[in-house]
Amino acid sequence: MRIDSRRLDAAREGRSELENHYIDELVAGRLGRREFLRRGAALGMSAGVMGAVLSACGGANKTGGAATGSSTSAGASTTPATKGGTMKLASQTPSGAINPLTVSDAGGLCMLAMTGEFLAYDNNQALQLQPMLATSWKASAGGKVWTFKIRPGVKFHDGSPLTADDVVWTIQQLADKKNASNALSTFEGVITPAGVRAVDSHTVEFHLEAANGNFPYLVSSDNYNAVIVPKGTDWGKWQKTFVGTGPFKLGSYTQNQGASFVANPDYWGGKPNLDSAQFSFYASQAPQITALSGGDVDVIVQFVAQGAQALTSGSSYNIIKLKSSNHRELSMRCDQAPFTDPRVREAVALSLDRPAMVSALLQGLGQVGNDSPFAPKFPSTNTSVPQRVQDLSKAKQLLSAAGHSHISTTLYTEQYEEIPALAQVIQQSASKIGVDIKLKVETQTAYYGKATFGQSDWLDGQMSLVDYGDRGVPNVFLEAPLTSGGPWNAAHFKNAQYDNLVKQYVAAVDLSTQKSLAGKIETLLLAQTPLVIPYFIDGLCATTKKVSGVEPTSISQIFLHKASISA
Amino acid sequence: MLGFLAKRIALAIVTLFILSLIVFFAAQVLPGDPAREVLGPLAAKSAVQALDKQLGTNRPVIDQYGTWLGHIVTGNFGTSTQYQSAIGPILGKALVNSLKLAALAFVIVVPLGILGGVVAALRYGTRVDRVISVFGLSATVIPEVVSGIILIAVFGLWLNILPVQATGGSGFGGTIYHLILPAIPLVLILFGYIQQMARAGTIEALNSDYARTATLKGLPRRTVIWRHILRNSLLPTITVIASQTGYLIGGLVLVEELFRWNGIGSLLYNAATKKDFPMLEAGVLVIGAAYMIVTLLADVLYSLLNPRIRVAAVE
Repeated sequence: MRIDSRRLDAAREGRSELENHYIDELVAGRLGRREFLRRGAALGMSAGVMGAVLSACGGANKTGGAATGSSTSAGASTTPATKGGTMKLASQTPSGAINPLTVSDAGGLCMLAMTGEFLAYDNNQALQLQPMLATSWKASAGGKVWTFKIRPGVKFHDGSPLTADDVVWTIQQLADKKNASNALSTFEGVITPAGVRAVDSHTVEFHLEAANGNFPYLVSSDNYNAVIVPKGTDWGKWQKTFVGTGPFKLGSYTQNQGASFVANPDYWGGKPNLDSAQFSFYASQAPQITALSGGDVDVIVQFVAQGAQALTSGSSYNIIKLKSSNHRELSMRCDQAPFTDPRVREAVALSLDRPAMVSALLQGLGQVGNDSPFAPKFPSTNTSVPQRVQDLSKAKQLLSAAGHSHISTTLYTEQYEEIPALAQVIQQSASKIGVDIKLKVETQTAYYGKATFGQSDWLDGQMSLVDYGDRGVPNVFLEAPLTSGGPWNAAHFKNAQYDNLVKQYVAAVDLSTQKSLAGKIETLLLAQTPLVIPYFIDGLCATTKKVSGVEPTSISQIFLHKASISA
Repeated sequence: MLGFLAKRIALAIVTLFILSLIVFFAAQVLPGDPAREVLGPLAAKSAVQALDKQLGTNRPVIDQYGTWLGHIVTGNFGTSTQYQSAIGPILGKALVNSLKLAALAFVIVVPLGILGGVVAALRYGTRVDRVISVFGLSATVIPEVVSGIILIAVFGLWLNILPVQATGGSGFGGTIYHLILPAIPLVLILFGYIQQMARAGTIEALNSDYARTATLKGLPRRTVIWRHILRNSLLPTITVIASQTGYLIGGLVLVEELFRWNGIGSLLYNAATKKDFPMLEAGVLVIGAAYMIVTLLADVLYSLLNPRIRVAAVE
């Protein structure tokens, strides 16, 4: 790499220690250009600075363009987008009130993101954290304090200006234990209401309970409840106005029927191309596919591969595939015989043919998993750890070394998407090595029970197969299901070394530290195998060929600011 | 007549009250907790407790029932725990939708069923009779979802002459146009039942003394059928039709989901799975009331058609 030292030094000026560290990594060749852009954006480095650094390091190439924050969405072309028109979308029926505090389902969170905005935007197609209501952010005190600069000149749909006070109030409400807030599961242990402070009218400081290198993701579109609303909003009445700062305003919302949104001409990012967007709600997937085929809708916001052959086979529709960390976890009770012996657990993991599962259960629309929460999409995933493959003879060897010729157990799971089929595949694979699994497939309500130990098949079953939705960073997956005392620890896994490694990972702010810790965690999990993660499922969105510029996310939001529809 | 009506209404109220008790306490057996259903299985426990407190669902069951009863007698249906808004409008809209679909299916299947039954009885034992009866009985056993999907595929997607969704029609004509496809599976299911009852009633009437007398008197066949046979063959049919009301209004969850129609069936199904007691109670009461009204109407019609019953009541 030919380095222009003078320009590089000029670019380095004013950068924090952490940012300089990244530049060092880039110069040393330990960090690729794309990784640098990704991590730099997550830290809050502006596009201009990153571009300057890259050009100083031997010429910014095509990937430099991606740093400007525009998405590489399907259909982004050089021809100007058609202005005007109404886009019709099909989405899941929201299962309850559209109250930003309590929404917890795919349909509801899609609605929140139509008019509401977040401090940062996790662009699922570019796999980059981009500025939204915050223009930049930086860490200090080793990652314990994060300072966010709020975008000036932003107005809510009711005309009032966005200030730091609104941001502070919103996050405090979401993090308050006294509130019925769904976001508590993200914020508990990370930040308390007292830690959120306005420094001036457009700067907010977050004083965290402990250093957290991935904090910006926790106030991004990934934390789907965290739409910023005016200070003092009555949460129960938000559904009547959908007041937010987004490119679309509420037209109307009808329970169980649909919603319409009209363009916001005063949007800070410029008026959207579309005049309006109309949502129709569907209780299940089949009628959505019928509607798309029949021309009643132009977009299906999110769908799953099973039952969608009409969409995925042939090329009548644009299928947008998003790398996602959506996965299934098969946990085995590490505190109950026969699974107390890690060799038994490893044997079960070795009996599975993962690539075959991806092609049969997901129609190829997914990626193989390696029994750790580090999905291929995460930049901190350490890919040097070898991928586990099916090995029936080794599995049988391990079982007999552990003193078992035959094992009987029961697997509890839920009736949801392809999970019952996955359970059957696991049952068949395990029977090949002498493990007899009895399946108990229950409704979600029965399976989750009260979601506490002792009152939930999910957490108590000797074998339990559960779904985990997509997140922007693996922190939640590393902590809740696997740390000693984690609330979702269905495997009852207690390993002090693991707990320690995860603590270090969460606190680590720079990428190479995260990656080396990830490598250690992945290796430990492969050795111990408290759970099996066979694959990660791609997020899927379908549109007709007339649609372009839509930005879906794998948690079923859809951002339509740049969307357009040709006549 | 008035005394008869008053007695029936009083009975209906008692029945509805008992119904509400049964539903409320039976629903307690269902697993799940209203606040957790709203927030999802992975929400923090403190959040679930806070929401339970807000919704009033952490109070003892008797307490909750008492409050609900107090509201109902003043006409206040209460607030849904799921939607966190008044139940009245939501339920009202769903009921109207269900009634529309039920009415269309009713208007198609009743005349068809009766016609089929009478024709089969008049041609008793011939091929016509066998064809109609076998067709009717076979159609009854096809699940609504199966026939619905076939109809969507053929008429909606392949031939493209009917819309694939029940929503979207405006005005009287538009609504009917959109509801034709969803109504057909219901027609298929009910046709056989009504046709068989009408057929049996007509056969019995044809073999009766008064029918023979009328024919021997010299009345033309058409008059015999129209004035004497029909009203008697209709009697068992009315009872059958009334008994299907519950299904037609509240039992169409699958059809509603397939054709995207917001009826009371799916509303109640969701209320039951999400432990939304106020909504569940309100919905069951409404369907129960509808059932009572329809059976009352059926009884009145019965007595109108059958003077013997009318006379007995008067006495």
